[in-house]
Amino acid sequence: MARGENSESHGSGNVPAAAPAAVGKQAPAAARGADGQSVVRRLQSELMALMMGGDPGVSAFPEGDNIFQWVGTIDGSAATAYEGTSYRLALSFPSDYPYKPPKVKFETPCFHPNVDTHGNICLDILQDKWSSAYDVRTILLSIQSLLGEPNNDSPLNTQAAALWANQEEFRKMVEKLYKPA
Amino acid sequence: MASDDGSGSHLPEKKEEVAAGAGFDDLEDPRFQCCVCLELLYKPVVIGCGHMSCFWCVHKAMHFVRESHCAICRQPYNHFPSICQLLHHLLLKLEPVEYKKREKEVLEQEKSVDTYSPQIIEFLNSKDNNCENGEDGDSKLEDNISKTTPEVPVDNAINGHPKKIKLEDVSCARCKELLYQPAVLNCGHVYCMSCLPFLDDEALKCQVCGGLHPGGFPNVCLDLEHFLEEYFPEEYESRRRKLQFGITQCTPEGSSPGTFCTKESMNRPSKQETYLQQNRDLSNVHVGVGCDSCGVYPIQGKRYKCKDCTELVGFDLCDECYNTRSKLPGRFNQQHTPDHRMELDNTALYGSVLRFQRIPEEGLIAELAFIGPGGMVQVVDDHEMEDNSEDEQV
Repeated sequence: MARGENSESHGSGNVPAAAPAAVGKQAPAAARGADGQSVVRRLQSELMALMMGGDPGVSAFPEGDNIFQWVGTIDGSAATAYEGTSYRLALSFPSDYPYKPPKVKFETPCFHPNVDTHGNICLDILQDKWSSAYDVRTILLSIQSLLGEPNNDSPLNTQAAALWANQEEFRKMVEKLYKPA
Repeated sequence: MASDDGSGSHLPEKKEEVAAGAGFDDLEDPRFQCCVCLELLYKPVVIGCGHMSCFWCVHKAMHFVRESHCAICRQPYNHFPSICQLLHHLLLKLEPVEYKKREKEVLEQEKSVDTYSPQIIEFLNSKDNNCENGEDGDSKLEDNISKTTPEVPVDNAINGHPKKIKLEDVSCARCKELLYQPAVLNCGHVYCMSCLPFLDDEALKCQVCGGLHPGGFPNVCLDLEHFLEEYFPEEYESRRRKLQFGITQCTPEGSSPGTFCTKESMNRPSKQETYLQQNRDLSNVHVGVGCDSCGVYPIQGKRYKCKDCTELVGFDLCDECYNTRSKLPGRFNQQHTPDHRMELDNTALYGSVLRFQRIPEEGLIAELAFIGPGGMVQVVDDHEMEDNSEDEQV
């Protein structure tokens, strides 16, 4: 069996390769079409589950009629600096989802050690720790808990990381920079 | 086997099939759902950690350069396991309507990429359909459910309901009794955890197909265990009691079969570990090429490619399987036969390059870099750099 030679080329699977630059060959259009179908089906099941399940504080829905582009909402958890705030996120799914993670960005400005000014998020499960068993729900819940428990060792926003120790001041900054849509 | 069906049980069985088939989506916690495609498992493959997914869902998630990781528990693995035929038949009987629907969908996708999952089982399926209550065709073709199950009681009508699954459908390939703490080998055959230490070979050689299981003892397949516990509560409990009694009798320490196995697997030198260490060296990795016999993916070291197989996916063997003259069929329904000609192939190998880089204050640094098959190397001859600062093919 050789995947490079057939049309199943899918990027690098659950854990992205770090070293190799040019690997695998491009999948022919036919393969993408067939896979696209199963991606759509998977996203539809996720949507169904999200609508039926109803986790408190997180929600997501496709933007317009493009099922590959979703808008998610996360409410700040109680007893954290983010209590009472609500953030919009943009999720964009690749054609080889769920073997590759979606791109997730904050659309509402968010003052947080692991979120930069453009809304990019530094979260391992959205990068090298991604697994095809994760879904929109687990992503949103992970980001929700990241809000209250930042990883201050590798900050994208150093100012936020430095301020984290002082929760009172931190809360003020969160409120100051919070611009709900 | 036909007598086990009991006379006149065909009609109620059919009725229940329809009812259950329609209900798959309505179940709050659907059993045997694939964690990747979120649909009913189709052609299930069980990884050494005991977690399972559909054939394609596992294969597509596998890393084509390094070791792969289970989507659920992240345990590393290197071998693409064979389809678990026991689970395949179990699902086919349990959710016939939904399973057939999945079969149709997957086949359509396979057609569009002209690469197929093993169709030997497909043959079993059609046999199943033709003789309606296919147990007859099943047990003849299905080698892991052996014919020798005379002591299995007829359990068609426990609690007054005919059961779709019979005890012999879920029996151990070694002890032939109801699977207790089922563990699935790389070849797809299922044993009780307590039966594994009795397999002949050091390397867990399957009694049914002779396949070797790589990477130490597999874990219990919990999804299957929970199903058996629920579906055959009395039988499962009696198996538990019997096994625990047996263990306390022969081993004075009274260790449970589970701990016995873990100790065993810790003592044995882990093939997995040595493989992982080798895996850091990418120079002999055949990118995206797997062995059609043992399932190792990607192949490291020598790769033998079949010159006569015409399928898109090709037929390849690793050095070890080539030397043991493995006669197993391909993983993707290739029409490979032992008289086909095999040849060494290096077209999917990484090229290795020694890259020199001049870093101010630190001097010249040489590092090993790898280029994918078919990749290009551009030699950058920067004039500001010294003469020897050019890329050099090794």
